[in-house]
Amino acid sequence: MSQPVTSNPFIIMLINMTVVFLVLIALGLVIKLIHYLDPTKPKVKQESAAPAVVPDPSPAAPAAEEGISPEVVAVIAAALSSYGYGPEQIHAIRPLSRDGWKNSGRVPFSNPF
Amino acid sequence: MELFNAFAVSLQAVWNDSGFAAFTAGNGIMILVGLVLLYLAIVKEFEPLLLGPIAFGCILANFPRTGFLTDPGLMQAIHYGIANEIFPPLIFLGIGAMTDFGPLLARPSTLLLGAAAQVGVFVALMGAMMLGFNVQEAGAIGIIGGADGPTAIYLSIQMAPHLLGAIAVAAYSYMSLVPLIQPPVMKLLTSQKEREVVMEQMRPVTKFERVCFPIVAAIIISLLLPPIAALLGCLMLGNLFRESGVMDRLSDTAQNSLCNIVTIFLATGTGMTMNAEDFLVPQTLLIILLGLIAFIFGTAGGVIFGKIMCRVSGWKINPLIGSAGVSAVPMAARVSQVVGMKSKPGNYLLMHAMGPNVAGVIGTAVAAGTMLAMLK
Repeated sequence: MSQPVTSNPFIIMLINMTVVFLVLIALGLVIKLIHYLDPTKPKVKQESAAPAVVPDPSPAAPAAEEGISPEVVAVIAAALSSYGYGPEQIHAIRPLSRDGWKNSGRVPFSNPF
Repeated sequence: MELFNAFAVSLQAVWNDSGFAAFTAGNGIMILVGLVLLYLAIVKEFEPLLLGPIAFGCILANFPRTGFLTDPGLMQAIHYGIANEIFPPLIFLGIGAMTDFGPLLARPSTLLLGAAAQVGVFVALMGAMMLGFNVQEAGAIGIIGGADGPTAIYLSIQMAPHLLGAIAVAAYSYMSLVPLIQPPVMKLLTSQKEREVVMEQMRPVTKFERVCFPIVAAIIISLLLPPIAALLGCLMLGNLFRESGVMDRLSDTAQNSLCNIVTIFLATGTGMTMNAEDFLVPQTLLIILLGLIAFIFGTAGGVIFGKIMCRVSGWKINPLIGSAGVSAVPMAARVSQVVGMKSKPGNYLLMHAMGPNVAGVIGTAVAAGTMLAMLK
């Protein structure tokens, strides 16, 4: 083991902290340089003189029958969305016919819920 | 009569060769210490994957006449891997394969928080020297504040191998206590307004940046600090496995099978350095105390620098993420998240805290490299 450079604790602390900061600042600059040189980074959009005509990205809202509140529409849309269905796949939201026989047939399948 | 004598002599020989004949009170105390550590690992779940094998290694190390460290065999091979710094870089290979440097690449300024949190390392070093430890021992004790087990073991082996057991136990124990140690310091040093700062979403990081970073970082840091080239080189190699997208099998092995196997060897081997002669000394208590001081000052250093960055950035940085600069990945980042959420529900700091958290891993390794270059 060679002789340490100094045995003054305060000087050791000062030198070491300076080196740690310098190395990590250098690493930060390297990260910035990599980002600057990155040929794959998305280009910054140029502002054009005339505003381009942008088509409305939102598809037409599904037709909901009268009597169904917007909150219910939102909940149903969110539930379908969580299963991977997009808004373009929801064509209409309407109440099921209140047929007692059909309902009794559905009960065994929807019991746990 | 002759038969009886022969029987008595044989029994005497078996007893004299047994561990019981050489068993000391110190061995008994150390086995109790091992059992307490096992209790903490299994029942309290304090870093069980590490503290468990360390505790069992401690129990094994205190069986007399086993010849574990002197006779050729598995235990000597494990000790060879510890004494020759083989296992810590292998663990870093796995850590690299598990680490996402994305938050750091998106916001490189958080590297400064990882650097600031290393103040705990050097405060503990100063304290250790004032308490009578020599400079190499003080450096090894100070690194506990880095909250990075493999780096602590790596440095201890080279600077103070006789303190390895105490340093490893202190480092891993305090790492598991991060959720208890850090929040009071964080709350003490920040105002409610600072804790409520909402940070902007980070920019997306491209694959080019993710692949280039480990390569360039390994080159630069290894050239600057050759003593930690093995450690940082393995960290960055593991990360390259992960980010390249074409080495998935290697990445999977590094972060699962290899990391688990090496963890067993590293932790058991570390526990086996905890024999009664080396561990049952007053210095051990001082090391445990200094470790706590290191953690507190490391947390404080990160938070105070976070406050400075908060002001300089125009209240865009939440100072709570500074505490994650002490490494302890990802526990310290989770603590930032929990304290932030308690101050302002819905304020998600986890992703932002991962930047200083992984910067802390690099910062601790750099601090170890600096001490090796300067003090060894």
